[in-house]
Amino acid sequence: MDIIIVMAIGIIIGNFIKNKNFKIINEKIQLIATIILIFAMGINIGSKENFVNELANLGITSFIFFIIPTILSIIVVYFLTKRFMTNKERKDSQW
Amino acid sequence: MVKYTVSALIVGLFIGILDLNIDLLNLITQNTDLILYILMFSVGISIGMQDGVLTKIKQFNIKIFIIPFGIIIASFFAGIICSLLTNIPYNYSMAITSGMGWYSLSGATLSKLVNSSIGSIAFLSNLMREIFSFFIIPFIAIRFNYYTCIAPAGATSEDTTLPMMLKYTDEHTVVLSVINGIICSFFVPILISICLNLPPL
Repeated sequence: MDIIIVMAIGIIIGNFIKNKNFKIINEKIQLIATIILIFAMGINIGSKENFVNELANLGITSFIFFIIPTILSIIVVYFLTKRFMTNKERKDSQW
Repeated sequence: MVKYTVSALIVGLFIGILDLNIDLLNLITQNTDLILYILMFSVGISIGMQDGVLTKIKQFNIKIFIIPFGIIIASFFAGIICSLLTNIPYNYSMAITSGMGWYSLSGATLSKLVNSSIGSIAFLSNLMREIFSFFIIPFIAIRFNYYTCIAPAGATSEDTTLPMMLKYTDEHTVVLSVINGIICSFFVPILISICLNLPPL
């Protein structure tokens, strides 16, 4: 839960920042922090003894975790937009 | 972004395999807590700095939430299905699918908050989702409707997959796509945190 608190503090402070240049700096901070965390994750997985087996397993599991949410979101959004967005906007958006 | 993060993952894997013991690296891997907080703080600032989102939300009324709502609901159910298929606890599984395509944040956060295996599944699956979106968007635009193009893109519909929306859909859908991305991105860290706090079965 503490990550939400940290994020909320960021949102409040972000509201007061009007300097557009800071956006670029902020994006760089995000990129560097992400790279470090992903890098540390790599070291952790790489140092496991059964790394090769683990990798094959992770690949298959990741595929399941990719295909199911993606397909399901397409189906749900298609039916929701077909049902609830039938006004002018939809006519404009269709072929 | 993809090349940097994937390179970081590969270099990290090699260092892990070779079992290199470098002081600086130990310092980094032992202080990932602080880095996660910096990341979340920075994500918060990005959201806070967005101009005019509230005005656009008012302009489009409640209908603007239909698409992100659909994507979030689909992620929850997908998390439960994936949990049954892979035997990963349902709260971890739902946290992974809550990434909604934002592979860098979900991978980094979950590797820290759960473990490196869950983090890498979140990273790889959400990266696959983003790449797949590039190929499927033109097909969805023809076969389904423009709005549905936003679904596979999830939280990435405001940045990385936006050029595909510009090319294959219309202006109206592009605006919805940006707002959907902002809403989904806002919810990714919140949903991950909520899912991880769900009681284990």
